[in-house]
Amino acid sequence: MNTINVSRRRLLQASAVTGGGLVVGLGFTGCSGAPAPLPVTSTEGAWTPNAFLQVLPDNTIRFYTARSEMGQGVTTGLATLVGEELDVDPLDMDIRLAGVHEDYVNPAFGMQGTGGSSSIRAHYMQLRQVGANTRGLILEAAATDLGVSASALSTGNGFVLHGDKRYPYAAFVETAQSLSIEADAPLKPASQFQYIGQETKRVDAIAKATGTAEFGLDVDVPDMHYAVVVRTPVAGAKALSVNAESAKAMPGVINVFEVSTGVAVVAETFWQAKQAAAKVVVRWESMPLEAVDTATLRRDYAAALNAGDGVEGPVEGDIDEALQSAAKIHEAEYWAPLLSHSPMEPMNATVRIESDQADVWTGIQFPSAVPGLVSRIADIPTENVRFHQTYLGGGFGRRGSPSHIIEATEIAKVAGKPIQLVWTREDDIQQGPFRPASLMRIKAGVDADGNLIAWDAARAGADISPDTFRSLLPALYSWMGDGMIEGVANLSEWYFEKFATDESSTEGLFEDYDHPNTRVTHMTVDHELPMTFWRSVGHSYTAFAKESMIDEMAEAAGMDEVAFRLQNTQNTPRLNNVIQVAGEHMAKMNPPEGHHLGFAAHHSFYTDVAEIAEVSVENGKIRVHKVTCVLDCGQAVNPDIVRSQIEGGVIYGLTATLYGGLNLERGAIKESNFHDYPMLRMNESPEIEVVIVNSGTKPTGVGEPGLPPIAPAVANAVYKATGQRLRSLPLQLA
Amino acid sequence: MIQFTLNGRAVQTDVDPNTPLLWVVRDHFKLKGSKFGCGAGLCGACTMHVDGAAMKTCVTPIAAVADKSIITIEGLGTPDDLHPLQAAWHEHAVPQCGYCQSGQIMAAAALLDANPNPSSDEIDAAMSGNICRCGCYPRIKRAIQAVSENALAYDAMAQTEGRK
Ligand code: FES
Ligand code: FES
Repeated sequence: MNTINVSRRRLLQASAVTGGGLVVGLGFTGCSGAPAPLPVTSTEGAWTPNAFLQVLPDNTIRFYTARSEMGQGVTTGLATLVGEELDVDPLDMDIRLAGVHEDYVNPAFGMQGTGGSSSIRAHYMQLRQVGANTRGLILEAAATDLGVSASALSTGNGFVLHGDKRYPYAAFVETAQSLSIEADAPLKPASQFQYIGQETKRVDAIAKATGTAEFGLDVDVPDMHYAVVVRTPVAGAKALSVNAESAKAMPGVINVFEVSTGVAVVAETFWQAKQAAAKVVVRWESMPLEAVDTATLRRDYAAALNAGDGVEGPVEGDIDEALQSAAKIHEAEYWAPLLSHSPMEPMNATVRIESDQADVWTGIQFPSAVPGLVSRIADIPTENVRFHQTYLGGGFGRRGSPSHIIEATEIAKVAGKPIQLVWTREDDIQQGPFRPASLMRIKAGVDADGNLIAWDAARAGADISPDTFRSLLPALYSWMGDGMIEGVANLSEWYFEKFATDESSTEGLFEDYDHPNTRVTHMTVDHELPMTFWRSVGHSYTAFAKESMIDEMAEAAGMDEVAFRLQNTQNTPRLNNVIQVAGEHMAKMNPPEGHHLGFAAHHSFYTDVAEIAEVSVENGKIRVHKVTCVLDCGQAVNPDIVRSQIEGGVIYGLTATLYGGLNLERGAIKESNFHDYPMLRMNESPEIEVVIVNSGTKPTGVGEPGLPPIAPAVANAVYKATGQRLRSLPLQLA
Repeated sequence: MIQFTLNGRAVQTDVDPNTPLLWVVRDHFKLKGSKFGCGAGLCGACTMHVDGAAMKTCVTPIAAVADKSIITIEGLGTPDDLHPLQAAWHEHAVPQCGYCQSGQIMAAAALLDANPNPSSDEIDAAMSGNICRCGCYPRIKRAIQAVSENALAYDAMAQTEGRK
């Protein structure tokens, strides 16, 4: 291995990004342009061979998980990858949530972020290599210390084995520290896996079942005060006047002041802050958004579709001619509403600023954003911001946006005390950022043999990405001034409106089927509501339109829904295979009288999924009894977590299918809490069967792909049950 | 001054009597296992036992629990001494994000204390006040059913521990 000092580290990192060798055995000090010190716990006598692992004198193996744990089981998954090659049982590791450091970037993004169902896929080779290289060093050190050849040694769960003797890894760290790795250690073949692919338990289940897992809201630091923000009901409005007299007189209240998003109330306890916030009287600036209701959104989107002057996405073949020559054509329009993510843990962040040091505690999907944002607001150097990751009480994309960290920092700066900012559930549901509403229109044609030959699809609605981009810019480009950031953010919005489709907004609308003549058009219609990624992003609505339309086309072609899908997915063989397997399951199902089966399939986040929903309609109410999901996600690192992610995706998607939908009334969100923004509960939750088929590829996503097919599978079943083709979410019978 | 028992320990507080039990437990007694999800009695994240019954404590003023016995998730079991439901939660890999799970387990424990062998519908009825946004319902149910398969042992334990 090349050992030229300055570039060595860079080289290693570059290769880490592409999944090759990594940083084991590398000194972290002494390089010129030295990287920041690792934010790891210093423990007397511990060996820290890289950013991910520490071996403690008592042979505890500490693992730093670089991806945010929001329930998707990534901590278990990543510990399994490193543990497989290090030869340590993931359940025996001391697991820590990593702080911010360049070594913790997500190889799929080049930033320290968690999302896009990417973590296992992105770290699959990297963390195994880290484990293998670390084990290699320990073996080499053991060989030296014991005076035997390394080939005479083996390992078993944290111990070096020699004949009938066992030595803890920790016995060799002193020697290991002086060694450096010559070449990447070989990885195990899949046939030798002992943890990957096994039904291991979750590493975080006991902490989460005993109330001892720490979430952002559980953080408590000395002299911490609580803040609640009084916010505008209509997005973007500034306070024109504030009367805080009676709020200030409330018990426990320390201070009331304006921040960029509203009026902050700081008190000794959250309860006091919340009570006092109700007494603050604000006159808000009036906004053009006040002219907008839910019906306005839909009307404006329809007008944009009718005008047809959007931005063209992918275009293939000659769509007009194909539609002309088709044996059957059919056109339909599908609607999906605005949604809130509503993770169970409301947004919160704890910030302490002391002279030129800041500490931030929260659970966030984008730790990379924290130092830059806090440094900018608190006016302290980026390297003086320490980030303490906690468990995330749900993410679903919502915790990729740093709005609460910005607010908490502003408040802590003015208050001069450590602050825990807590959003109420009402804030959560009404303030966004949201999953945008969408109106989608698809016109498709089949030939006389049931081949889809034309697919003309358009979507109108707000773009998903630019707001998130805007919120991360100040964090990622600390050298940019505020004016420049505003300029760049506006430029990106304008770009997506006029020149290019925001891929997140149209993904899933057109990719899965063979149709040789394809046109995708996007109309950005922005009413200035904040938007961001919501579990499965664009797929969360495009799959509903696409898979409903596919069922409609199958009917138009006079074909069975599964046969039609199989015939038209010849170019997407992995999807074709899950359709085939799911179709076989469906053929064997024998639903009771009055129950109907609906089918849908979708590819997202590199994973192929087909779902069958068993549905009945009783007294005008849609009831989902059972969902069978067939998926191919490549190597399932932990099959039980794959199943739980699919169960979760289906249930999250069913809430959106049956209930979800925010309404605007004069520019304000009407819903406010779980009484009028209901969630699926246990009594409505179906039995869910998950069938994992493995095509033998490396792992692909599982956190999101279970969600997209569920809405169309249910809608397709409702059609069979009632003859009503429901093309709007949430599904409501006439 | 309001007095009550918290996980078997006699405690007192002089906070505003309207303060919800949840916030007294979290912010004054620093037991952070019980969670805030909605603040309106709609999600169950804040569920504790008040004299053995599952209560949504974000809407229970502290004055209403004077002289009563409160059990929180911390009082039900600990990592070294798991309650059977907590062990089942691990065994069936129930938690995802985990945020709702203290409330789920407290609701389930109150159910089993009163009815150690509930039917599927009875589980649904007892648990439908608790939202899990991560969608752990199938596993929550499976874990409760696993514990209830040992209904006699559960009942004996609940009696020994004085929860019934
Ligand atoms: S926080 Fe108490 S019911 Fe939701
Ligand atoms: S485990 Fe996340 S809300 Fe239930």
